[in-house]
Amino acid sequence: MTDPTTTTTTTPIQTPSRETVLELRDLHVAFGGNRVLEGVDLEFKAGFNGMIGPNGAGKTTLFNVLSGYVMPSRGTVWMRGENLTAMSQTARVKAGLGRTFQSPKLVLDATVMENVLLGRHHLFRWGHVAELFFWPPRRREETASRRICMEMLDRFGLAAKAHQQAGDLSLGAQKIVEVCRSLVAEPSVVLLDEPAAGLGADDVTVLLSGLRALVAERQICIVIIEHDLALVAALCPEISVLHFGEIISRGTPVEVTSDPIVVEAYLGAGFELGDEVAGMDS
Amino acid sequence: MSTSEVSTPEDSRHLYPPRRGGWRGHKDLVSGIAVFGLICILPWVPLLGWTSIFDTSNNYGLGNLAFVFAYAAAAIGFNLLVGYSGALGLSHAGLFGLGAYGTAILTSPKECLDPACDPIVRVATSGYDWPFLVALPIVCVAAAAIGIIVGFPAARLKGFFLAIATLALGELIITIIRLDEDVWSGLKSNGGTGKQVPLFLLPGFDRTQSAYAVAAASMFLCFIGYVILTERRLGRTLKAVRDVEIATGPIGISATYYKLVAFGLSAFAAALAGAAWAQNSAFVNPSAFRTRLLVFLLVVLIVGGLGRLWGPLIGAAFFVYLRQELQDTQKLLFLVLGIALMLAVLILPNGIASIPDRIRQTRWADDLRRRFRSGALNND
Repeated sequence: MTDPTTTTTTTPIQTPSRETVLELRDLHVAFGGNRVLEGVDLEFKAGFNGMIGPNGAGKTTLFNVLSGYVMPSRGTVWMRGENLTAMSQTARVKAGLGRTFQSPKLVLDATVMENVLLGRHHLFRWGHVAELFFWPPRRREETASRRICMEMLDRFGLAAKAHQQAGDLSLGAQKIVEVCRSLVAEPSVVLLDEPAAGLGADDVTVLLSGLRALVAERQICIVIIEHDLALVAALCPEISVLHFGEIISRGTPVEVTSDPIVVEAYLGAGFELGDEVAGMDS
Repeated sequence: MSTSEVSTPEDSRHLYPPRRGGWRGHKDLVSGIAVFGLICILPWVPLLGWTSIFDTSNNYGLGNLAFVFAYAAAAIGFNLLVGYSGALGLSHAGLFGLGAYGTAILTSPKECLDPACDPIVRVATSGYDWPFLVALPIVCVAAAAIGIIVGFPAARLKGFFLAIATLALGELIITIIRLDEDVWSGLKSNGGTGKQVPLFLLPGFDRTQSAYAVAAASMFLCFIGYVILTERRLGRTLKAVRDVEIATGPIGISATYYKLVAFGLSAFAAALAGAAWAQNSAFVNPSAFRTRLLVFLLVVLIVGGLGRLWGPLIGAAFFVYLRQELQDTQKLLFLVLGIALMLAVLILPNGIASIPDRIRQTRWADDLRRRFRSGALNND
């Protein structure tokens, strides 16, 4: 194991107040007899939180519970003191929860800008009747929203493609557009489901630097599901490992990767974190 | 540093898609003004005189054009529902009928209780005697409300199931109108089926010209509403409901709400079109609003161009032309319409309205453009 400090110092994790934003208490989910989550207890703090685990461990199901696709059979979800468990999906978004999907869900025949603007849908004060009658404050609101979206696209290097059709973009760029869409909604928690899967190396760099800058500016909690352990280790001060619906390990990247249970369940013997992280930094 | 570039005021134009310079930047606006200007002068300047069917120097041509506008207005609403929200709601024929019957009943004179009244007239006149311009918006809003009610169960259904359910609900509207014979059949002497529609007369216009104006105004209203709403937030939200419905919840969009909005708006357009149609035909009959009308509207929409701005108008002109041309041979009309629908789906999936784009994309047009450009350079 190489020196762990090299991994942690590059991440903006030593912000003094790392308040808990999202709390999961005793979450149980079962599809028929198939128990997918069995008593998951987790806290996600402001900043990056990693979530790893083998395929079928229940990571995406956990996200689906958080964003309201799946109702837990038992347990509660708290976000900044608000109980999300029984809320509708749109109410969760208004409360400050955003997410992306494993395969990007974009409107392919709309422009990139329009796709990102969808993320601000719930923040618009003026309705569609004002739209119909050319109400000037509505236009100003739209322009202000577009400016915010453009700044967000610019952070992720997509400003030049803002008025291209989303369908003309590569898969990697589409995934970044989706991340932008979830971030312009001014969320306090963003769930990113494998954001780097299928991205080229330069896209990953842009994505990570954009996310890092954003976390440094705002008190935002980002939960990342990712198979690329080096990426998760480089970003997240804390990683949770989900295995067959249970949290088998939590802690810093070094603690988790050296945990014998994790090594046996997920990583496989002979795994060396240091090498991979070093490879990423170069 | 590039962030600051974007936020500077002179760059704010990049927040909206760049427009081409000159009139090409406002193509929709220019073409809209041109087409509606043409429609306004047609009754006085019979530019379409070379076609006997759309010859506006006589009432026959004016009436046919009024039918074109009414069908186009209904198809614009249909376009919003099917092309934008992606919900294949087929209750349009019923809502069209609701607009026609609703205005006919509300504007008919009150029942004549005087025993001296002719019994035929007594049955024929069992309305509420409202002015047309009051009845029309009320009927359209009521139809929008019914469209939303139809949409409620439909918002939970998809594809074929949605189509079947809304088809049945549309038929139900007509069946309800049929329940009360006093309502749907007015003048018994007229073959026993149907209701005379009191005609709205614009000051200084005769009845055909008034019907023409009402139909053109309804289409104009639907057209303007469609253009404005689809280019703004409603358009992109409906596209999201159509394409990524599963993801709309975590984006913060209620898919059900927006489907209902689409149902309501398209029902409004259908009722408006129905009222305009009734003004022109002067006589309404429940059997005119059955599934056959729905097929006609589908032909108008698909042959004209689904999701295309001018598709409904072109499709409606095509349909009315064929219908009048093949008036004496109804069976042939259905055969031709069926073939046209199949050909459109096979050869022109985006309808007649996409032909200019198709031509522009051919190699021949590319070659022509290149020659034109190099020619222009040589002359310099």
